[in-house]
Amino acid sequence: MKQIQGTFIKGYVRIVVTGHMPEMFFQSCVSNGITVWDIKRESSKSCSGNIKLADVSKVKQLRRKYEYKISFKERRGYPFIFHRFIRRKEFVLSFIMSILLIIFMSNIIWKVEITGELPLELEEKIVKQLNEYGVHPGAWIFSIDPPGKIQQKLTEDIPELLWVGVNQKGTTYQLEGVEKIIVQEEKVAGPRNLVATKKGVIKRMYVAKGLPKVKINDYVEPGKVLVSGNLNEVEQSNEEEDEEKPKKQVLVPAEGEIIASTWYEVDVTIPLKQRYEHLTGQQEKKYYFGIKNFKLPIWGFGKPEFEEIHYDSLETPIKFLKWDLPFSIVEQTLSEKQIQEIERSKEQAIQAGIKQAREEVQLQLGPDATIISEKVLHESVENGKVKLYLYMTVEENIAKAQPITQGD
Amino acid sequence: MKKFQQRLRPWLVKYLALPSDVIMELPRITIIGQLHVYIENHKGLAVFSDNELRLKTTKGYIQIKGSSFVLKMMLPEEILLEGKITDVRFIPG
Repeated sequence: MKQIQGTFIKGYVRIVVTGHMPEMFFQSCVSNGITVWDIKRESSKSCSGNIKLADVSKVKQLRRKYEYKISFKERRGYPFIFHRFIRRKEFVLSFIMSILLIIFMSNIIWKVEITGELPLELEEKIVKQLNEYGVHPGAWIFSIDPPGKIQQKLTEDIPELLWVGVNQKGTTYQLEGVEKIIVQEEKVAGPRNLVATKKGVIKRMYVAKGLPKVKINDYVEPGKVLVSGNLNEVEQSNEEEDEEKPKKQVLVPAEGEIIASTWYEVDVTIPLKQRYEHLTGQQEKKYYFGIKNFKLPIWGFGKPEFEEIHYDSLETPIKFLKWDLPFSIVEQTLSEKQIQEIERSKEQAIQAGIKQAREEVQLQLGPDATIISEKVLHESVENGKVKLYLYMTVEENIAKAQPITQGD
Repeated sequence: MKKFQQRLRPWLVKYLALPSDVIMELPRITIIGQLHVYIENHKGLAVFSDNELRLKTTKGYIQIKGSSFVLKMMLPEEILLEGKITDVRFIPG
């Protein structure tokens, strides 16, 4: 029965053969490789049977050899049903329209949700800002920036927001915001000392409050008290010797700046040859309709006049309900780039290395620190790279407040 | 030569226990109650009507009688008949 399996899907027809000995026609069909089933004698001169739709042309050819009359009676199977469906134009049209409508609807933002415990005015501000970016219910998904970019823009444009998470979930945009609570800088209220955070040699001191415990050009280790908050300490110790009359301590919060020169050892590696790519700012945009890996241009034809091009494409899939269709709208940005090659001599490389090291140290220490000098301790050339070992002298504030704990 | 082959075949069947329908090109008929007759190895249709089916074989015909016959499936050397079967008869040709 394997031969007649799946005939409904491919379609079959019932033929009626009339003539003398009609069964012999089916016999010749079978010997020609045409499968026939459900053969029935209709009358003394006619016989009917089913044949596959694919075999109809073979049967028509075979008929010419004999003097039988063949008529087609029933058409059954999926191809005929499909054909009947296709013939009803308005039906097909409405079907296509409804699918297009669903696709259209699936690519529209329906809702912008803002979660997180935000005050109402901030929420309104976010909504307003989002409207400016074009993110509002009813917006076309292709026309707006990807969530990551919106997130970045929002945090830039609304300073009250500490962080905002933007998430596109189907047709809703979910925003989660955290408000920036501006905390007043906490002042150490109680009495405190200033202690050293790093080892160094004191260069300058400016003490606003408190009792300095070190002198200029002193070497200090981390943790050493630089400015004491205890004003009576010195007198106390002096007096302790001659008369045992404990004076009451006067404690103040020490304040001041202790600038010391500190040292850093930095390793830098500088290649002798370097390739840079940088964008000139010239750019063109192209739009494609993407089907899997194939891209059909919609807008923006022709090649730009730049020689070196940096391609940047952004793919937005077209959605059908919650699924991504294999089609997408691709926005491609072509930016002109320039490639620059730099070849340096060893001296130039060392100079560049020193510059890089200075920047690194400055970045690490913050803008208050000043780099006084640097010294190359060791240099070597390896695999087209210059390795430098630098010693840098920096002047910076090393004081840190430490509260004085009064023993009960 | 042909006579020798005709003699050889029954011998093969008898002594080597080979299936007789394959060796001697005989039809294999499977009957399921009165409902179905399944015939393999026939040589073609001779007569088919509502109450009779006659098939050619190497040696004559097979005649099947009954009522309300339908050929459920027809393939070059196989046939499946459905209906109410009363007789199966071999007619030497």
